[in-house]
Amino acid sequence: MTTDSPAWVAAATVEVNGISKWFGQKVAVSDVSCSFGPGITGLLGPNGAGKTTLLRMVCGLLTPSDGSVSVLGQNPRRRPQVYRSLALVPEETALYGFQTARQFVNYSAALSKVDVARVDDAIASVNLEDAADRPLSGYSKGMRQRAKVAAALVTGAEVLVLDEPLNGTDPVQRSHLIDIFRRLAAAGHTVIVSSHVLAEVERMADRVLAIVDGKLAAAGDVSAIRRAMLDTPYRVRIEAGDPRRLASALLQSEAVEAASLAGRALHVETSDLVQLGRVLPPLARDLDLSLTLFEPEDLSLESVFRYLVRRR
Amino acid sequence: MSAFLRMFRTALRQLLGGKGGLIVSLLLAALPTLVTFVETRNAAPSRAVAVFHDAPIGILFIIVLPAVSLVFGSSALGDERRDQTLSFLLLRPQPRAVISGAKLLAAWTLSFLVVGGAAAAAATVVGIRSGDWSVLGPIVLAMAISTLAYTSVFLLLGYVTKWAVLAGLAYAFIWESGISFAVSGLSTISLFRIGFSSYAAQVDIPRSLRDFLGTLQPGAGGAAAKAIVIAGIAVLVAANLLRHRDIT
Repeated sequence: MTTDSPAWVAAATVEVNGISKWFGQKVAVSDVSCSFGPGITGLLGPNGAGKTTLLRMVCGLLTPSDGSVSVLGQNPRRRPQVYRSLALVPEETALYGFQTARQFVNYSAALSKVDVARVDDAIASVNLEDAADRPLSGYSKGMRQRAKVAAALVTGAEVLVLDEPLNGTDPVQRSHLIDIFRRLAAAGHTVIVSSHVLAEVERMADRVLAIVDGKLAAAGDVSAIRRAMLDTPYRVRIEAGDPRRLASALLQSEAVEAASLAGRALHVETSDLVQLGRVLPPLARDLDLSLTLFEPEDLSLESVFRYLVRRR
Repeated sequence: MSAFLRMFRTALRQLLGGKGGLIVSLLLAALPTLVTFVETRNAAPSRAVAVFHDAPIGILFIIVLPAVSLVFGSSALGDERRDQTLSFLLLRPQPRAVISGAKLLAAWTLSFLVVGGAAAAAATVVGIRSGDWSVLGPIVLAMAISTLAYTSVFLLLGYVTKWAVLAGLAYAFIWESGISFAVSGLSTISLFRIGFSSYAAQVDIPRSLRDFLGTLQPGAGGAAAKAIVIAGIAVLVAANLLRHRDIT
């Protein structure tokens, strides 16, 4: 991949060069090259796509099987001092249940060699003041997420890596956290956010890298990714009185690109689900067929991602 | 407060949170005192030290010492890995040796408090019964030395395998209590004997106990130095593993 591809940014703080990671026979990340710079970059992909593995390599928690990572020009695996400028909000719990949120954030500040006077501000920024002196073991998942975000914020790191940070948060908390991430990005921080939810990434990221089956499937601004996704053909299962006649009529209407029969079911492929929905009822009425089922088969984000990978 | 002390304090709290291990450790620790109490009750006061040198000292060195050290030593880094908090520590601009050093110090502190406390309690029973307090200091020092050696080894074991307790028990009871007894030449690389050689140098022990030492020479200074070297190596090896091993 050349550095003028959409996977690369001009003022990169984090560079990933031909990185791969395999665990025994399983390839988790395969030859990914990209970079991250100031602003929010969304790392989008279905569960198990390799997002967490990629982020853990960026943070130096995993050694790449091949390729290299640099954060602010340094290999985090070799130089712990880079953690003055790099913070991670991991997907897993990663909290000491016996600590209060204040103790946890304070611990994070002290170990990161930053002024513990920032602790109250970090707690306030995630709206945890009222619960700050309660043990983390009694926190809900959303509160734990916010405590982890506060522990990362208190370090003042230039590069923030957030692995599914909105998991378990309610809509109000989600909006609030997104505002925080946007403010950090506006202040010049590099914020890398992973998610399997397109709408979430769309709300916060200016730039998106889509990763599927360990490979970089698409990169660019959010609208480019969305356009690519809209190009995806949908598969729909239709059941009607005479599926063969319906198939032939649908193929003539140009609302579908392909059709196949399986017993009483008709499977069609369309790139415009809305048009198909518009065409189908009058067509069935004209043919005097009763429709008993109309079911999109393949609308998961995962299938869209797989389509993007196949297309590359 | 320095980062080292903060990590040490947090590690202590984390280790004390493992209630099951703590209860087992305290129950085991009560055993030598109980046996000493029962056995010295029917013995002449002049025989109290000899009674202590019979079953109680064996229980201390062969059961309580390795088992308690295993509980705390293997949990020190093992709990961080299990609770997935290791990434929290490793993503800090701290030398890895500071992290492993703080963990070892916490594991040793708790192990020594429990095992040293058990030894002190049993020796106190001997002192009260006989008026002879000569075993108290040496046995506590021996426990300090041996717990340091054991927790150092079990710290590494707890990090490299989730089967640390089983592996540690196998090591303690097959190697330490079995093979190294059968082959006297191996006594120099037996961990409990490091502390025992310190004890043997300060207390007049019966011949049967002296045989425990095998080819090892009694000496407190050498024993302490050996334990410190083992601890230093463990800290460095653990730091190296923290630097290079994948945190999944």
